[in-house]
Amino acid sequence: MKRTVPLIISFIVGLVMVGEFFIPHYKYRAVTSELLEWGLILAAGAFILGLVNLVQVNLPVVIQKKEDWGYKLVMLITLVVTLLIGIYSGTGRQDDGEHYKWLFDYMFVPLNATMFALLAFYIASAAFRAFRARNLEATLLLAAAILVMLARVPIGEAIPVVGDYLPKVMNWIMDVPNIAGRRAIFIGAALGAVSTGLRVILGLERSHLGGE
Amino acid sequence: MNKLLKAILLLCATLLPTSGYATTVTDLSVESPKNGDGLTLDISWNISVEGEHADAVLVVRSKDGESWEQTGDIIAISDSAAYEHSDRLDVPGTWSYKVVLLNADSPEDLDLLLAQARTSSVVSGEPVGKWINTNQGHIALMCLILLVGWLMLHYTKRAMSGDEIYIRKMPGIDAIEEGIGRATEMGKPVLYVPGIDDLQDIQTIASMLILGQVSKTVAEYQSDLIVSCCIPIVREVADEVVRAGFFQAGHPDAFDPTSVRFISSEQFAFCAGTNGIIHREKPATNIYFGRFFAESLILAETGYVNRSIQIAGTAEATQLPFFVAACDYTLIGEELFAVSAYLSRDPRLVSSLKASDMIKVACVAAMIIGTILASLDNDILVNLFTISG
Repeated sequence: MKRTVPLIISFIVGLVMVGEFFIPHYKYRAVTSELLEWGLILAAGAFILGLVNLVQVNLPVVIQKKEDWGYKLVMLITLVVTLLIGIYSGTGRQDDGEHYKWLFDYMFVPLNATMFALLAFYIASAAFRAFRARNLEATLLLAAAILVMLARVPIGEAIPVVGDYLPKVMNWIMDVPNIAGRRAIFIGAALGAVSTGLRVILGLERSHLGGE
Repeated sequence: MNKLLKAILLLCATLLPTSGYATTVTDLSVESPKNGDGLTLDISWNISVEGEHADAVLVVRSKDGESWEQTGDIIAISDSAAYEHSDRLDVPGTWSYKVVLLNADSPEDLDLLLAQARTSSVVSGEPVGKWINTNQGHIALMCLILLVGWLMLHYTKRAMSGDEIYIRKMPGIDAIEEGIGRATEMGKPVLYVPGIDDLQDIQTIASMLILGQVSKTVAEYQSDLIVSCCIPIVREVADEVVRAGFFQAGHPDAFDPTSVRFISSEQFAFCAGTNGIIHREKPATNIYFGRFFAESLILAETGYVNRSIQIAGTAEATQLPFFVAACDYTLIGEELFAVSAYLSRDPRLVSSLKASDMIKVACVAAMIIGTILASLDNDILVNLFTISG
């Protein structure tokens, strides 16, 4: 019973949602919209459970003063402060001059940008490893990367004779082998997605329910 | 009092001469789209301009033919041309439309405008809702899905009757068990990240299916598992999946409810939190399966610095190079969707891989034939697989 009911629900809801793509009638769309709204309500409700989980995981660490408990304390204080200010500011919380907006603009946005900016250094270190010419494939990757990078910067065009051809070579690399590879991945992934979706809808895949 | 004033203004407006521009609206027509939903009407008309012309037009609609309302934005006109507007209706039934010509002096009040400005004749139409989309691309896709379904059932039947189905060896998937074993030997946890997309994304669903197998193996090895989630609903599902995996392995008591963690629904906050877990708890194995974006490299590089064994899988083509560069094993595209079947070795699931492969062969054949036909100026296959409307 514990497995049969979810399987029946998966089958019916999955079939109805797949049908949305093939049945344009507004009465049918009303049913699928309703189902999607239920999903949204469930997802919104899960935020409360997420909040409970955050406290459940981090509060005991702070109380027992386990390793790195200070970070958890900062996180919990930030959580409570943001939550209270958000509730206090109400619907106008995103207006200029509001504390919530201030928190967002001067705390969240710079921190977010900092994390994103770190990506540049991570790319540099990953590229250093990936572009080492250890074998034929890595050497090809290195050559393609050098050509594309050179063609994208002004110094590439300034190289005598070669500079005129670099953009054409770059365009060929990006438009032919690159696109061909990406399309192969897309087609394979799309078929894999259809097959996974059908496995779940038809109830062949049950590992998420605890298997046999 | 307001009504009286409005009536007087309307009377005055009707007695005033209309503007002298020489713009006419012709061929106004209303029709239901070919694969309409029953709440959409397509309005099309031609504008003919001679000399001084109107600046813009406005389409108005009415359900009862008396009270009119604006639909869509004001459309600027400069030359004789054909125009069209797709109107989304609130209720089905017959609707009347007319096009109103506007210039700089046109009043903003719609009643006044309708009384004063030049308008086209009124045309009516009723939207027709279709119960099946007859677009060639939709039909082709439906046939493809039915074919995949039929092939899956066919190969499942064969597999159940004892036919052996071959799956090629996939080192990335084999490495999952090795990674869990390594974590057990080192006494460190396994970190599982199911991507940052919502539960309705098929990659997240595939990731949850893999998590079921991974948690079962972790429980069998009596190792620790940390699942780091970006979306609360994904955490809830992951929690159930991991619990079921531990139960299935016969160690329900070993399941730690705090092992499945919600970090943050913000991309980089989640990334920072997960990086913190990698730095502090030093997992021996990091598994990244699902849909990733810019955080993929930050996570994978942090794991590399931590000297964890890293196995990643995503169908997100833009993130694959990052995973390839920073992880020990990377599952590319469709391989992500094959992991669950590969790990379980369940003939019913393995047969679905065979079905996918058969369709892939058909797709390759269609591409070769389509390329030849397109080179010969024949677009029959291109049109067959074009999704529109």
